[in-house]
Formats: sequence, C-alpha cells, structure tokens
Amino acid sequence: MSKLLKALCISAALSLLAAPWLHAAVVVSSKLSSESAMIGEMIRLLLDAHGIRTVDRSMLGTTPIVRKALIAGEIDLYVEYTGDAAFFFNMPSDPAWKNLRQGYELGAKLDYAANRIVWLTPADADNAWALAVRRDVAAANRLATMSDFARWVASGGKVVLACSAEFANGGTLRSLEHTYGFKLRSDQLIVLSGGETSATIAAAAAGTDGTDTAMVYGTDGGIVAANLVILKDDRHDQPIYAPVPIIRAAVLAAHPEIRRIVRPLMQSFDSATLRRLNARVQIDGESTQSVAEEYLKARGLLR
Amino acid sequence: MIAIENLGKRYGATTAVDAVSLAIERGSITVIVGTSGSGKSTLLRMINRLVEPTHGRVLIDGKDTAAEPAHLLRRRIGYALQGHGLFPHRTVAENIATVPRLLGWNKQRVAARVDELLTVFQMDPGDFRQKFPHQLSGGQQQRVGVARALAAEPSVLLMDEPFGALDPIIRAKAQEDLLGIQRRFGTTIVLVTHDMEEAFRLGKRVAVMSHGRVLQYDPPAMLLTRPADPLVARMTGIAHPALRLLSLMTAGDAAVPGESPGPRVAAAASLRDVLSELVWRGAESATVVDADGRPCGCLTIAAILARGRAS
Amino acid sequence: MRRLRHIDRLGALLAAVGAAALAFLPFVVFKLNRILPGDPRGLLQVLPAPASLACLATLTAAAIVALGVAKPQTRLIAAVLGVVVLGAALAAAGDALTPIGNKVVRVAPGSGFWVLLASLGMMASDAVTRLRPGPGLRVLYLAAFIAAAALALAHGTFEHISVMREYAVNAGRFRHEAWRHVLLAFGSLAAAVVVALPIGIFCHRVPRLRGGVLGTLNLIQTIPAIALFGILMAPLGALAAAVPLAARIGVSGIGAAPAVLALFLYSLLPIVANTVAGLKRVSPAAVEAARGMGMTSWQILAGVELLLALPVILTGIRIVLVQNIGLVTIAALIGAGGLGTFVFQGIGQNAIDLVLLGAIPTVALAFSAAVILDALVEVMKRTPP
Repeated sequence: MSKLLKALCISAALSLLAAPWLHAAVVVSSKLSSESAMIGEMIRLLLDAHGIRTVDRSMLGTTPIVRKALIAGEIDLYVEYTGDAAFFFNMPSDPAWKNLRQGYELGAKLDYAANRIVWLTPADADNAWALAVRRDVAAANRLATMSDFARWVASGGKVVLACSAEFANGGTLRSLEHTYGFKLRSDQLIVLSGGETSATIAAAAAGTDGTDTAMVYGTDGGIVAANLVILKDDRHDQPIYAPVPIIRAAVLAAHPEIRRIVRPLMQSFDSATLRRLNARVQIDGESTQSVAEEYLKARGLLR
Repeated sequence: MIAIENLGKRYGATTAVDAVSLAIERGSITVIVGTSGSGKSTLLRMINRLVEPTHGRVLIDGKDTAAEPAHLLRRRIGYALQGHGLFPHRTVAENIATVPRLLGWNKQRVAARVDELLTVFQMDPGDFRQKFPHQLSGGQQQRVGVARALAAEPSVLLMDEPFGALDPIIRAKAQEDLLGIQRRFGTTIVLVTHDMEEAFRLGKRVAVMSHGRVLQYDPPAMLLTRPADPLVARMTGIAHPALRLLSLMTAGDAAVPGESPGPRVAAAASLRDVLSELVWRGAESATVVDADGRPCGCLTIAAILARGRAS
Repeated sequence: MRRLRHIDRLGALLAAVGAAALAFLPFVVFKLNRILPGDPRGLLQVLPAPASLACLATLTAAAIVALGVAKPQTRLIAAVLGVVVLGAALAAAGDALTPIGNKVVRVAPGSGFWVLLASLGMMASDAVTRLRPGPGLRVLYLAAFIAAAALALAHGTFEHISVMREYAVNAGRFRHEAWRHVLLAFGSLAAAVVVALPIGIFCHRVPRLRGGVLGTLNLIQTIPAIALFGILMAPLGALAAAVPLAARIGVSGIGAAPAVLALFLYSLLPIVANTVAGLKRVSPAAVEAARGMGMTSWQILAGVELLLALPVILTGIRIVLVQNIGLVTIAALIGAGGLGTFVFQGIGQNAIDLVLLGAIPTVALAFSAAVILDALVEVMKRTPP
C-alpha cells in the first residue's frame, strides 16, 4: 500500500527479532523505598562490572506491584525483605519469622516452590519496626534495649511516643507491650496519619509536644541524624526484615555466577552500616548512584 | 429538455408527490408554486436525486438521471436553496469554486469564472473574493449562493425558495437579476416558491401544485384567464385578476404609434404600473419611451382597460 | 498618584494579602537536612539591608500600582517586575543561608513566598486579561515566561533552593521521567482521538445509539483512576501471560500498558461528546447545499462537517490532554513512570521538595498545554481553514 505501512511492518518485524536479544539482559528493579533502590543499584553495578548486561527499572512501584512484575517475568531481580514473606504466604504468626536464618529458609523454600523464585544471600540487618528514644533520654535512663524501655515506662518514665495509626492499632504495639510487659496510656501516644517514620523521627528530634520516642524502621537513615538511639528487640518480639535479593530461577540458571557476585555485598551489610548509607541518601540528599558506587569502591567490590 | 415522467414519492402511507409528469422547456424559467406541504420541494429535489423517487423517472436531454451515481449527476446541476447554505469556513471565492474544483478545473479557469460571476452579480471581485459569508449582507449572501450554483456552467439550475429570506425591496431586485442571469447564460431554471406574485413575475410556465399533484401547468396568463381548477383560480387570486393580468404585460407590448401630452413611462414597465401612474397623475394617456429614453409610442387608459378584460 | 481617583478592588485585595504574607508568613524555611521540618525565616531577616530594602521598595511599588493604576500595561509591567524581584530574593536567600560547599542544608520557599508569588501572578494574569491579547500573543507570553524561567534555572540562579537540590541529585532520571510523562499523556490522547472521532461521528449519524454510548462512557468516567488501574492489571497480566506476542510488544499487567489503557478509556467521553456537539452545530443548510452540489458523504464529512465542528472537538481534546497530564502522575503507583514517581517517593521519604520536583513541572505542563490548545481553538474559530 504505502511506504509508511511497509516501514511499520519492517520495524515491527525487526523489533520482534530483536526482542529476544534484549531479553538476555537482567532487569534489576526495586521497590519505592530508597534503601531497596540503593541496594538494588549496588547489585546492578556489580553485575555490570562482571559483564552481565542489566536494565535498570528501579523504583517501579509498591511491593505488590514489584512482586507481580517479578512473578510475571517482567523484571528479574529485586531486593525484598524476609519478613514480607509472612504476608505473601499468609502465615504472619509463624515463629520462624522472628529468627533471621529460620525466616530466610522458610521464605526461600515457599517462594521457590510457589513461584520459582530463588532467594540469594540475605544481609544480617533488620529493618523491622522498632522504637528509638532521644539520646539524652536514653543516656539519663540507661536505655539500650526494649526490656530497659519497659522497665522505664513501668517505673513512671516520661514517655511520649510518636507513631503511625497502623503501629498503634494494628497489633504491633500490643505485641510489644505483651512481650515486654508495659502499657502506654493514650496520652502517652501521638498518632500521626500515614506511616512516615521520617515524620515520627522529626517529632522526636524536635521534641514536638513532648515527644521523646519515635516509631522507626530498623535501618532508617534519620535515626543517627536526629540523635536517636534505637532500642534492641532483645526478646525477639518482632519478625525480622532482613534485605534479601530475590531472583527468577530461570535467570539465575542463565547466569549462575550472580549468586557468587551478590554474596560478599550482602554479607558486608549490618543495620548500622545501612543506617549510615541511608542517612546519606535520605538526609543529606546524595544521589543513590553516587552513594552506591562509593560504597562498592570503598569495600573493594568495584574497581 | 427535462422530462419528468410519472414521478412519485411515498413515505410509508403518505404520498408526498403523486405521479407528476411535466415537460420543461430548454432555456426557460419554470416555476413550481404551491402552499407548504404541496410537495413542490420534494418534486424539485427528485430532479437532482436529493430525494430518490419511489416510482417514475426524470430524463435530462433524453438521459435517465438514475443511470449515473447521484453525486456525479448533481455536479452537473446547479442547486440553490433557501438559506443559501454557504460554507461559513470558506471565503466567497472558495464557496463559488466548490463544484468547479470537484470537477477538476484548473486554477486559472476557476479564478476567472469566480471573477466573472462576481461581476455579473454586481460584486467587485477584488472586494468580495476574500470575504467570509458572515461579513456579507443577506442580499449579498443570497447572490453568492446563486453564483455558486452557476459556477460550473450547468445547463440546469434548481432553486428552492431562493428569495424567501430577503426583504421585499431586495427580493424584487433579486428577481430582476435572476431574469437577467437567465437571459445571459441561457440556463434552464426550475424554481420552487409559495409566492404567487413571484411565480407570475418569473415563470414562463407555472405549475400549480396541491397535495402532491400538479393542478395546472401553463403560462401565467392562461392560469388567470383559464384556470383548470377552482383551486387554481383561488390560489392565483380572484381578488384582482385584472390587475394580475395587466402586470404580465408591458407598456411596450401595448403601445400604439402616436404622441401624448401625458407622463413618460418606460417600455419595460408593466401595464399595471402604467395604469397606476396615470390614475395617480390624473392623466388620460402616457408617452412610452424605450430604454434610451426616446419616445416610441403612446398608451391610453382605455387601451389599458381593454387589455385587462377577461377574454 | 494622580490617578488615584478610585481604588481597584482586586488590586486592594492582592496588595492586602501580599502585605500580610510579607509581614506574617515565612519567606523561606531553613532546614538542616531534607526531612526535618525547619525554621521559618522572614525576608528582612535573610537578606542584607540594601537588597531587602530594594526588594521591599519594588513590592511596595507593585502594590501601589495594583491599588491605583488602571492602565493594564503598567500593571503587567509592575507585576512582572515584582515576580522577578521576588525570584531574585528567593535565590539570594538560598545563597545567603547555605554555607559554602554544604550540600545537606535545605532552603525551601516558605508560605509567604508562595502567597506573594500567587498575588503577583494574579495581578499579572488579570492585567493580561484586560489587555485581551489574541491567541498568538498569549502563546508568545507563555513562551517568554518559559524561556525566562528556563534561563534562570539553567544559569543556576536557584541552585541553592531545596527543589533544585533535589533536581541536581536526580537530573538524569528527571529528564527520563519527564519525557515518559509527556509520551504517556500524548500517546493515550492520540489513541483516544483515533478511536473516539469515528465513534462520535457514528453517534451523530445514528441518534438512537447516542444515549447508550454516552451513558457507557459516562460510567467509565466515574471509576476512580487508581481503581481502574487496579481493575486492568489482572486481565492485562493474563493477556501478557497467554499471548507471548503481546508481552513482547509491551502489554503487561503493570507499567505503561494499564496506564495507557486507563487513560485511553478516560479520554473517550470528552472527545465523543464534543464531536457529537460540534457536528450538531453545523448548519444543516450548508450540509444540504454540499449534498446538492454533488459532494460525496466523505467529502462532506471531511470538507464541511468536521472542519466546522473542529473548534468544539479541539476543546474536547484540550480537556483530555490536561486531564491526562494529571492522571499520569497517579500512574506512577503502578510502575508506569512519569513525574509521579518523584511525587510518591517524596511522600514516602517525607521530602516535600521531592514532591514539588514532580508536582511543579506537571502543573506547568498542564498549564502550557491548556494555553496552547485554547489559542489553537480560537484561531480555528476566527480564521477557518
């Protein structure tokens, strides 16, 4: 018919031919949070350095979206958290999640069986919900763990906790209270809408309305900058949320060296390191790429 | 030139046009007149197949109009409708050029034709070519509508109440112009109107329609003097048949050689106007002058009255 | 002060609001890092004396003009001058408050700045309206404004302002997402026009179907955007899984595919409705004349009906484009990309400046689209093709 139609047909045919070639690249994605994007970027840089072609689709969307994309094969790899498997497989009360090794093994087994997804090396860090108090308050009352905190509350300590509605009413706070034996009155709680730990951290840092304790995530970058001390979950009440890269089995089979490449990176992390790295991105506003690259070079994982 | 044979149109149970047969003479103006609902517009629009007949046929120069695709037929027939239907988004020149462009005329020919028509319709081409319809007066719009219909030099021009929207003064001028156009281009014109005066003024032959049928098809004088149907007589107006008749004749037709002390009247003036002038002036006779103003005869009241008698 | 015969009411309101903003609201907010709430700072606190006095003088002059001067040209010039000085003051505040080499502190425009900007902006747009510029001139004003803003941004005037800091960190991704945003909005619009125009023409020709078609499309409009995205995810995902060819060309349950499909569905109603309305307004005499002259149905449709209905159809397209530019922002939630990614990241990280980095360009894009298309509609109405 016309030249345009011919051009369209040819380009369609070419793109169909090219598509398999494109798909040989590993699509590295991440959730919206800056930590998962940062670790994802580190993994991607490592894969690139080892000669594996990658496609960057970081910050794709919320957890359900990213998970769907992985299962559908649109992305190949992203950083998940071990504790999330409790919700994927609908077993939130299983005690295995409270132990990093057990939770990891359970999640890996379930995900491989159900979705042919392989869990690579997890980091020894915990991004679960936790409480953090102002450094001066912690020093004055010798608070380092949740048990200390419970003792302090029970003895009439001036606690004002800023947290989200989900934390207060969704069972987490009650679980902590039950495990550690303390009870917060409603006038000791400031419930903020939305789940933004940055808001709770900011409240505790500024002492807004007497706030001295904030609900935080274990590896939040704001904790250090806001001069807060995170309280250790010494009785393991909360499930562990350790970052773990997960990958489609088919892609891993095509590039088995990925497991070996990722291991030293994940083993280099702990909660404190992640907090420091997150602080640079979340607080100082450095770009994810530059923080990722610098870290890899500093650890000798990248030349 | 146009032969309408047993043409009819039925919409379900209603008959709009009931087996009409007419023969329309080449180069003449034929007027179809009737009240609303008489089927006159439908009849007209069956000639160029804007309405497809239920039965019967139309032959133009011996060729059946149904033989070719309707849109090709219509490009050879001029069509002017009430409300002119000018394209508001096109200039006067582009409007007029519509059918020639459809027929594939080259640019120069089109431009020349546009200028020619504008001049004929007394609109300065330089002025009016680039104007848009909304910038024209009602009379100018109507003229452009007719010019557009004539643009492709059709041998037939169909007009559906073309002067209906004009005020009386402009309407008279427009009718006058149409007569001039017809003389100049020799187009066969079929015109539909509900105005009996207009029919009488313009038509060489007039078809009187009522309820889908043609009651009489004759020159205007015969409609007055020999109505085929009491309805025709009523429609053409019993009120002043004499004056109607006198309006059909000109002073030039009735003048006899001679001189008169009375007022001067144009040879083209109708006898009715001359009579009115003589009565007004209180004169017994008038001098008839031709187009150049030279006397060519005289006319007495008695002679005029004689002409107005039913014969 | 000669012409102070009567006080312009709008000017009085704007001057009062602006003065209150200057006096009581913070001009900038100084934050030690990007997530802390920050301290309010006033204009006079932040700039050195000569600069702040010059700024105050200009703003006062603008207020006086707003109150007493009737001539629109003068008002426009005063408002524009006010905006320029305001922008310069903001940039200077950023420079003054940021220690050299420090990349952590953030100087954000405060509520006082925004209110002053809005007041001056309203004064300017009111003056422009009084001047009643033609469509070409309006587009020229827009282009001039965008050029001036682009120049200031490129020159680094605002480099110490919080939003530009976020931009500096995300520059590459910003370009990518902005382009993607434009593609998604225009792409869905183009697809909708191709489908909706024939549907509109059809509805016009067959009045019986009009009610049903418009009713169905109306129903689609009532579905909230996020819900529609969610509804489309499952069938598109299933399609991509079942038909490999579909997956190859980009059909999938997440990302651009459901976003484009949803936007396409939302775009149908305005275009169909406006096409029907536009065609209805075409003079029947013109269509009848066109038929009588021997134009075919296609020639009448293309040469007469559509051309005469074009201004109304274009208005529908304008509505859709502005709507789509806004909706693409939400599509970031399902992985479609676009400027919305910055908005949602910012929300998640409690970094308002990141939200602004996504929101301000989106608003600017929508505004520009509206101005340009409105000008086009007006041109179509005035000098038809």
